[in-house]
Amino acid sequence: MTPFLPFTSLSGDSRELGLVVAVLLGFAFGFVLERAGFGRADKLAAQFYLRDMTVFKVMFSAIVTAMLGVMVAAGLGVVELRALGESAVSATYIWSMLIGGLLLGAGFIISGYCPGTSAVAASSGNLDGLFTFIGVILGSLLYAEAYPLLGKLSGLGDMGQVFLYDVFGVPAPLLAIGITLMALAMFLGAEKVERIMARRSGDDAALAAQAPRPRRFAFGALGAVALLALGTLALPAAPRAAMGGKAAVGRIAQEQLAHRVLEEPWTLRILDLRARKSCEKKRIPGAECVPLETLPKLGLPYTAGERDLILVASNGRTLTEVPDAARRYPGKALLLVGGFDGWRSYALTKPRVPAASAGPQELEDYRFRAALHSAMTGRKPPPPAPAGGVKYAPKRRKKKGGGCG
Amino acid sequence: MDRSKKFWNPYLAGVALGLVLLAAFLLTGYGLGASGAANRVAAAAVTGVAPEHAAATPQIARLGHDGGSILDNRLVFMVLGVVLGGAVAAFTAGRMGRKVIRGPNMKSPGLRLALALTGGVIMGVAARLSLGCTSGQALSGGAMLSVGSWIFMFAVFGGGYGMAYFVRRQWS
Repeated sequence: MTPFLPFTSLSGDSRELGLVVAVLLGFAFGFVLERAGFGRADKLAAQFYLRDMTVFKVMFSAIVTAMLGVMVAAGLGVVELRALGESAVSATYIWSMLIGGLLLGAGFIISGYCPGTSAVAASSGNLDGLFTFIGVILGSLLYAEAYPLLGKLSGLGDMGQVFLYDVFGVPAPLLAIGITLMALAMFLGAEKVERIMARRSGDDAALAAQAPRPRRFAFGALGAVALLALGTLALPAAPRAAMGGKAAVGRIAQEQLAHRVLEEPWTLRILDLRARKSCEKKRIPGAECVPLETLPKLGLPYTAGERDLILVASNGRTLTEVPDAARRYPGKALLLVGGFDGWRSYALTKPRVPAASAGPQELEDYRFRAALHSAMTGRKPPPPAPAGGVKYAPKRRKKKGGGCG
Repeated sequence: MDRSKKFWNPYLAGVALGLVLLAAFLLTGYGLGASGAANRVAAAAVTGVAPEHAAATPQIARLGHDGGSILDNRLVFMVLGVVLGGAVAAFTAGRMGRKVIRGPNMKSPGLRLALALTGGVIMGVAARLSLGCTSGQALSGGAMLSVGSWIFMFAVFGGGYGMAYFVRRQWS
């Protein structure tokens, strides 16, 4: 199952096509942002004074639309939800993202733009947008130069690649419906806030300008797609069963690697790209210690390539794409999602014992992870909690007589 | 309020933006992004001016790949497209023209530009810390239900509302 057009890495033969697609997507992105009014700082800033909730409305309608679209595509088996998520989104670093988000929000209201909208503003001749975009470039430079200091704030609260459906433990389409309903409720709230603010400032024109018709149309459309996404829950579980299959886009998830290490290690060639010292201390069973800079010396393009190459970096950030030296490997080269840090938390950390109310899938996951953990560390896992809270005491039969027991 | 009539209905604009994002997901396996391009422009500039220094700065050196330019990347091409798309949209809507946008009571365009630059610098640092900005994290990651992206998104709104009071003169 290869759902994506084959220019994900933008390398090789389809490289030009990939760049053309990137320009076209960017064009549409910029066009829509401008038409939404995002090329004007005053319109964006008004969001933070509750005068105009356009930023909020556009952003959440976009998120809901794309989310529902992805759910429908996943339900139909066109894409695999988690693989797409792992390809498209970075890992979660709770504290770094919280700090970065607060800073970015402050920069947003000071400059009047976010990085993307500043490019749109600059393109329509707004000098303030141009200055903001130059500022973003300078800020990136500042970060790179002051990395010894600022870098201390990066990578904090590493959770690996984790999604809301993991945290809440509900099927993703169901969660998507919930988020859609929440967004619709928040839209109604936003309309109310705008009306209150317009009344307070005595702006009758603003009150009159609120045409309900297109709004109802948009609400109706979102509701319809939400129902469609819900409908995909009823489809045969083919795409969900395919989760154990190959991850798309040159990556392999921890779970898949763990299964293969236990069940078919002979199909793998694992290369640990971390510094030799840390690799020698602890590594995935069967891994070779090949520090990243020595990777070209292996001559991977000239090997037979009958085994899948698994590349293990130290975490999800050190290596985001398959390095060039491995790209021309004749077989499949897969980057381990989350790197060795991910392996440590997935395979070398004791799994949480599921609650008594856990479903069969959760119990199965627990069983596998407990077995993996004990296989990797030699420790014995506790048994899962008895189901349904029923007190179950095994009857002990008294041994009678002798015999061999 | 005449001006706002020229903009699309926010919900329809949002749905259109969502469809663009969905197309990016399904066609390329990636979302949309903006700050990554700024980062690469910065790195390319340093590499051009002081190649030894760039090679010694890990945050810049790691962007390079052997034989190719740092700018030779889909994110840079995407922002090129954003600029083109924004220009076409502004031109066809009659909004093209050199101007400095600021609140009605703010006299000095110079101060406005200084604030724009300052805010940009802060966002440049912030986007590196959180591995993306409102496009790559909040929008793309939000739609893929990434936990970090949702934390980031709420933090952006929090930071914006928290700071809004202090720069209110700029927008009033």
